[in-house]
Amino acid sequence: MAGTRSSLKRKAPPAEAVVETAFHSDDEEFGDGLLEGVLEGDSDDSSDDDGDDADIDEVNADLENEEEDALESDDIPTDEEDADGKNAAEADDGPKYRIETDANGGTRYVYEDIVPDYDSDDTDAQEPVNTIGNIPLSFYDSYPHIGYSIDGKKVMRPARGEALDALLDSIEVPKGWTGLTDPATGKPLNLSQDELELLRRVQMNEVPEEGYDPYADTIEWFTSFEEPMPLSAAPEPKRRFLPSKHEAKKVMKLVKAIREGRILPYKPPEEREKDEEEEEQLFDLWADEQQNPPNIDRISAPKMAAPGYDQSYNPPPEYLPTEDEKKAWNETEPEERAKEYLPEKYDALRRVPGYDQFVKERFERCLDLYLAPRVRKNRLNIDPSSLLPKLPRPEELKPFPTVTSIEFRGHEGRVRSLAIDPTGMFLATGGDDGTVKLWELKSGKQMDSIKLSSDEPVDAVRWRPGKDASILSAAVSEDIYFLVPSYIDPELHQASRDVLDAGFGYATHSQQLMTASGARKDPPAKWTRPGTRLEDQGVLLKATVRSPIKVIHWHRRGDFFCTVSPSGQKSSVAIHTLSKHLTQIPFRKLPGLAQTAQFHPSRPLFFVATQRTIRCYDLQKQELVKALQPGARWISTFDIHPGGDNLVVGSYDRRLCWHDLELSNRPYKTMRFHPEAIRAVKFHRSFPLFADSSDDGSLQIFHGKVTNDLMADPTIVPLKTLKGHKVVNKLGVMDIDWHPTSPWVVSAGADGTCRLWT
Amino acid sequence: MAGMESQNLATEAQQVRVNFTSSEPDLQLPEGKSQLLVPGDIKRYGLSRVLNSGSMLNTSSPVPLDFLVNGTFLRGSLEDYLKENGLSFETTVTLQYVRSLIPPVYQGSFEHDDWITGIDVLSGGKQRLLTSSYDGLFRVWNASNQIIATSPSSSNGGHSAPVKAANFLSSSQIASAGMDRTIRLWKYTESDDFTGQLKPTLELYGHKGSIESMDIHTSSGRIVTASSDGGIGLWSTSKSSAPEAPASLLPGAGVNVSKKRKIASSAPQRGPLSIMQIHSSPASAAIFHPADSTVAYSASEDHTIRTMDLTTSLVVSTLTTAHPLMSLCSLPGISSALLAAGTTARHITLVDPRASATKTSVMTLRGHKNTVTSISASPENNYSLVSGSYDGTCRIWDLRSVRAGSKAEGGGSVSDAVYVIERESQRGKKRGDVPGRGCKVFGVVWDKQWGIVSGGEDKQVQINRGSGLLAN
Repeated sequence: MAGTRSSLKRKAPPAEAVVETAFHSDDEEFGDGLLEGVLEGDSDDSSDDDGDDADIDEVNADLENEEEDALESDDIPTDEEDADGKNAAEADDGPKYRIETDANGGTRYVYEDIVPDYDSDDTDAQEPVNTIGNIPLSFYDSYPHIGYSIDGKKVMRPARGEALDALLDSIEVPKGWTGLTDPATGKPLNLSQDELELLRRVQMNEVPEEGYDPYADTIEWFTSFEEPMPLSAAPEPKRRFLPSKHEAKKVMKLVKAIREGRILPYKPPEEREKDEEEEEQLFDLWADEQQNPPNIDRISAPKMAAPGYDQSYNPPPEYLPTEDEKKAWNETEPEERAKEYLPEKYDALRRVPGYDQFVKERFERCLDLYLAPRVRKNRLNIDPSSLLPKLPRPEELKPFPTVTSIEFRGHEGRVRSLAIDPTGMFLATGGDDGTVKLWELKSGKQMDSIKLSSDEPVDAVRWRPGKDASILSAAVSEDIYFLVPSYIDPELHQASRDVLDAGFGYATHSQQLMTASGARKDPPAKWTRPGTRLEDQGVLLKATVRSPIKVIHWHRRGDFFCTVSPSGQKSSVAIHTLSKHLTQIPFRKLPGLAQTAQFHPSRPLFFVATQRTIRCYDLQKQELVKALQPGARWISTFDIHPGGDNLVVGSYDRRLCWHDLELSNRPYKTMRFHPEAIRAVKFHRSFPLFADSSDDGSLQIFHGKVTNDLMADPTIVPLKTLKGHKVVNKLGVMDIDWHPTSPWVVSAGADGTCRLWT
Repeated sequence: MAGMESQNLATEAQQVRVNFTSSEPDLQLPEGKSQLLVPGDIKRYGLSRVLNSGSMLNTSSPVPLDFLVNGTFLRGSLEDYLKENGLSFETTVTLQYVRSLIPPVYQGSFEHDDWITGIDVLSGGKQRLLTSSYDGLFRVWNASNQIIATSPSSSNGGHSAPVKAANFLSSSQIASAGMDRTIRLWKYTESDDFTGQLKPTLELYGHKGSIESMDIHTSSGRIVTASSDGGIGLWSTSKSSAPEAPASLLPGAGVNVSKKRKIASSAPQRGPLSIMQIHSSPASAAIFHPADSTVAYSASEDHTIRTMDLTTSLVVSTLTTAHPLMSLCSLPGISSALLAAGTTARHITLVDPRASATKTSVMTLRGHKNTVTSISASPENNYSLVSGSYDGTCRIWDLRSVRAGSKAEGGGSVSDAVYVIERESQRGKKRGDVPGRGCKVFGVVWDKQWGIVSGGEDKQVQINRGSGLLAN
């Protein structure tokens, strides 16, 4: 077989291709692939078919081989190839030929006859196979044969024609007859029942294979049930939880349609008509509203907070308030509650009562949206206590007066004024009973009592500063009396008298003043002797001004003093020169009612307090230096720190203002500790202390330390409230004074007593 | 039996072991009897009874005893003491027993016309009391509440201003000083027990301020005074040794002094031996060293106590305290001499005047409610003193009773008053918010015979029993 094939190849390789195409053209009718598979599956049915199939197979295989050969070598096969083929045959069955010498002397292979026994493989060669190759059969039309078998015998043309037809008609059509001719054999092509069935199925577009169920039950390799333990560890695919885009698109289409009004809710036609008729009369409230200019500080209204667990009708138990919390909530004011509701638990939704705050809450929300200004405010989140200056504790600032040591009793009616003499030994007081009393400070013994007036109160007593003389000045109505205490030693007594009498030589001079019109001008004050009765008691000099004097303040040198008579109009403030018995009115007109006045403790400055302002004048340049505005409505008193740069002001509207003269016209610190008007305020001359007294019957002692450091602020520490004086007719402590050397303070009470506090 | 005993213990108070000690030689316990088991609720009286019993001290007559526990007097029961101090009942309590303290019983009052500024007593042969007053007079009293002599008024050669101090130089000589800046010496004679005469012998001028305090040294005839002008004066009592008076300070020195102020003085006028202007503030007290007449101490409101050498009139040392000082008194002290200074800060500071002393303030006596104006040492022992204050009380202090001062008191050693003598004039009256209103005590003297004599604003001399107040 192998040899035959190879020779065939050798002889006519182009013809093979033709045959092949012919085969192909034939095969196409049946569908090459399908047919082959079917044939293979039925290979066991008949031996005839088998032979054909094998041939086709082998041809195919040869074709493939040949292609390979063509690639490797020329068309002419070598001997080796043949030898190989022989060897292979020999190796299989042993030599099946004998070598003879032919007529030309060449070797000749004489093959032994094939014995057609059962071992021989002649089932394929049952019928003579036409070996004409790829020659069209039409070439043999004029011959009775149609080709040659492999043995060189003529393959005779099968009978055909009318005679045959008749014969055939008479003969029963064999089973499987197709009327087709097998191109390979030229015989009628018979098809078996199975093949016919197959063809039918193909024609009917059915699955060719018998018994194939296209609708077989699904074998669930992957179950649809979700197992607790998934078979696959793969993460859940994203598509499972992504909303469908497609659906979203569809919904959006609908939404768009609804918005554009293309889809309308169904209404009965008659109702629709009615609606169209009565078109609603709506108007836009904000139609002409102007858009706010863009403001970065503007913020939109906050969204309402989403309800939390505690607003549930059945909150978890940890959100439920305890009894104490409920009580506390009920007791606090509604505005101060942290939450506007109390979480409550209902075991079923149908038990939840109606929400009674609903309307209120909505209303408030609306108010909030409508009224609340949405402006961003920069809030400083600072602990207020951290802003307070670190003040030392009062215990560290000792000594300061704490208790009453001595009470001075003797005045009838209230004590209006008091002063401690420069040596610190004696206290002078003046009161409503018109007397000036002198006391030994340390024992409380009354040393002297001088009745200056029977009906007018003594409004002010002040000692002349300086230890070179001991002179007390006392103001009773329009008069200023100067007295020298009797108990001082003769030298001092004489010196004091000399000081008082020194001005008598000048007294006439002051009366020479003339007005512009030439008339004699009334002098602002008359300086005279008070009369023998008073002179015997040590009152040596009297000065009378035009209006009642309320305040006396001495210049530090003891020669000048100023008096203030608030009712005195133009002449309310007067500066007197003791050594010349001269009185001057420095201000032609004062802007306001003069309350009190003081000399600066070291510089030639003069301070005048009107009801609301304190003006500071330079006495040398005669000009206004500055005006302080303590912010009080009615200044009652003020005192200048001995250092000269600070000033403390007391007012009838209960304010105590500390001014730094270098700093500002406004107070450095304002204190309102008294419930009633402040009557007097005084600095200690050496200790860093100051005190004020009030109509509530108390004194307050402050530590007021001023440092030389310009950068450091003065330290003001409230130290002690001294209570003891009784309030009589809404008047408490009228005046205070400090001891010149010790941290002791004396106070004059409206209850007719004075107290020394140590 | 055992059960019954424990029941007894439960019902009765717990037993406390005590150890008795004493520093008094005549009251020593026999050997081996000092340890005792006493019930816890026993008080002073019970303990005193126990000690006076036959088995213990075996005294002929019972001696009332007081007990000091850890420096303080036992006032409640032992139990209370232990509880207060957080001590266990197991501890042995050491009780120092001393002769009992007897309260200073009120004995009588002498009515006066004006505030009494100072008191001096004369004891020994004749019992005389000398009081100075704000009315410018001083008076001599006998023990039966009668005024024997009154100093002349200013028009008759007496003081023209309140007398702040008056002292007996001897039984026949009196010195007085006051706000008229003079010291006057008087010859005092008695015709009988009820009448006496005062004759001025000398007027001493020199101070420019009121004389606040005076101390005398009898044997050397020296007077030291403290003045409110800050000066300390040293004076001689003899006319011959005293220098001439400074003319400018004499009355009438001023040209224009009114005639009423001119005082005809019959007595010779002399000046000081020396005036030491050493204080910047008023001097409040000056005293001699108890043993040395050439050394004096002065206290002042400028917070200082100065030691002066009188022969050279120089300040030897300066002790600075924390408060203005108003009175000064020297104490023998338990171990060394001390100075007691009363302050305006309502306490008494005990100061060691020796230059070698390490700290200024030895002890602080706290309890007064107002300025302490007068201090007098006990004549009987070296550890007690009496003080008079503006709060209207006299307080008796025992220096042996010491406790540690609290932080508010400034630490240090602090003692509290043993007894408080109130003013009899204020008995039954309502107390106001001002301590000692109307009854300030200006002077107090503790004398062996007179007892505790005090006087002040209530115009009364009050005498309290003074002997045996504090146990020896």
